Amino acid sequence: MASDDIRALSEALAADPASLAFVPLGEALRRRGDLEVALRVALRGAERHGTRPDAHDLVARIAVDLGDLERAIVEWETVLRIDPAHAGARKGLGFICFQLGRLEEAASHLSVALSLSPGDGSLAAALQTVRDELAVREESSGRSTMQFSREAMAADPGGAAVRQRQTADPPARPTLGLAAVREQPDADAGALFDDLLEGQRSAAMLLDGDGLVLAGRYVSADGRDLAALIGAQLSGVSDEATRAMRHLGLGGWRQIVFETEAASVAMAPSRDGVLLVAAARPIPLGFVRRVLERALARAVEWLGGAA
Amino acid sequence: MRFSVVASWVETPLKQFVDDARVEIAVLMHPNGQVLGQYGFARSVDVMTACALASAIHASSSELGRQLEGQPFSTLHYMGRDRQIFLGSIAAPSGALLLLAVFDRESSLGLVQLFLEEFRARVAVSAPPPVLDGPPVMQENFERDLNRNLAQLFGRA
Amino acid sequence: MSSVFSTLTESLIRHRGVLGAMVVGLDDGLIVESTLQIGVNGNAFAALTASLYRKARRSAAAAGFGATGFLELTAEQGRVCTAGGQELVLVVVCESRVNVGMLRVELLRAAEQLP
Repeated sequence: MASDDIRALSEALAADPASLAFVPLGEALRRRGDLEVALRVALRGAERHGTRPDAHDLVARIAVDLGDLERAIVEWETVLRIDPAHAGARKGLGFICFQLGRLEEAASHLSVALSLSPGDGSLAAALQTVRDELAVREESSGRSTMQFSREAMAADPGGAAVRQRQTADPPARPTLGLAAVREQPDADAGALFDDLLEGQRSAAMLLDGDGLVLAGRYVSADGRDLAALIGAQLSGVSDEATRAMRHLGLGGWRQIVFETEAASVAMAPSRDGVLLVAAARPIPLGFVRRVLERALARAVEWLGGAA
Repeated sequence: MRFSVVASWVETPLKQFVDDARVEIAVLMHPNGQVLGQYGFARSVDVMTACALASAIHASSSELGRQLEGQPFSTLHYMGRDRQIFLGSIAAPSGALLLLAVFDRESSLGLVQLFLEEFRARVAVSAPPPVLDGPPVMQENFERDLNRNLAQLFGRA
Repeated sequence: MSSVFSTLTESLIRHRGVLGAMVVGLDDGLIVESTLQIGVNGNAFAALTASLYRKARRSAAAAGFGATGFLELTAEQGRVCTAGGQELVLVVVCESRVNVGMLRVELLRAAEQLP
């Protein structure tokens, strides 16, 4: 959601504090990463509209992003007291229980959620993973712990949001995120740049003007595709560059490269969108730029004309 | 709620300023508080309050500038925790105008100052020449004009 | 009188192809110190580049990439390179032919002296 919309919603709420504008506003702030502000907005709304499940659901999702799982549990349990058939709350509690290793409870919540939303493929995959985990636990004496990905939850609340970090030696099995990715029909677009990259340590994606992924992927070490999240976060940089170019007298921008603690990122404009390459820091910056150029040529070809 | 203008020539420069500087609120007004155009406010009462306060602040800071430096301050900036306020004077063909801008971390003082310069240039080109035989601003007309402007802005004229 | 930062900007502008070097406030985009060739609009480069750098930092942090160091923007008719601390950033405006590798090393070294 654009800053304009956030502004409009916040003014609508200021004009009428009793309105329900706090729900989309809190959600927009959460997606933008303004978690503290989002939480304040949501808590105020939940206080005023205590019987609305969406108000408590919003607080819960923000709490998850903030890592405050206890609050998330309380809020989602409140949602279920108001509306026992709330699939989102079941899903959320399922994921938290999974993270906490409470696998039976996780399976129970996810089963109910799946019965409420039978068409939700990510739920089916999640439930299967939990059941696999339960089976492994029964078979193995090794202890396992799970870690919840707040980033993935933020990008896809209740979706591909769990990753596993095994301290024992676990049998290989698909993560929830990977299962969801495999269900995507347009698998060729995801693999568009794979042969140009340095194995798992780099990624390339083509984004449209709204920051949505057109092609490519960003697969994390645990197998999840984070392209949508990474793309959404980084695409705003190109907007900033476009504005700068209008005023600096240097012509159009061709490339932005920046180095962070974890990655080197390179981006270039492509039609109405942007092509983005990210590589783990040990990979030299020059290589990243070279991959960007080659990926740009590939994107042009794939889009069927001039970039 | 978005842009609303009393004088049509205001729209293009104000829109450009808001787009470039990414401010949350921008109001162009006469130094006496009469509004010419605004972006960001949803209610006329808020515009009225902002204009009255900006007008008073401008009068005070101008006088302070005269006392301290022999000439009025041309801009004023206040930095709050989350938001910042900028008030700048603009020389238009018909006399001085004021631009009030409120912005958050999506913008910066440097950007607002940079695009204020461009805004000034656009106003100098777009604003109408002074009306030489126009009626003087009288106290009894002032409030009526102010209300008429606000009504125009919010579509109740 | 030379300021604390003038030695930084003066050493950077000695590089071949560099048209201007500035120390800029990261949050306000205002110039703290600058050494510019005639014709370079320092205020515009300072405000817009600081804004771009802020955006890149925020985006990279939100994407889980951690803190941002060096940033280079390549345009049709020149380049802008930036590196910075928490409060101030160095902004260097250059021609396309500049040796970016050398400049990057210098810039990162100089940025270590910024608060």
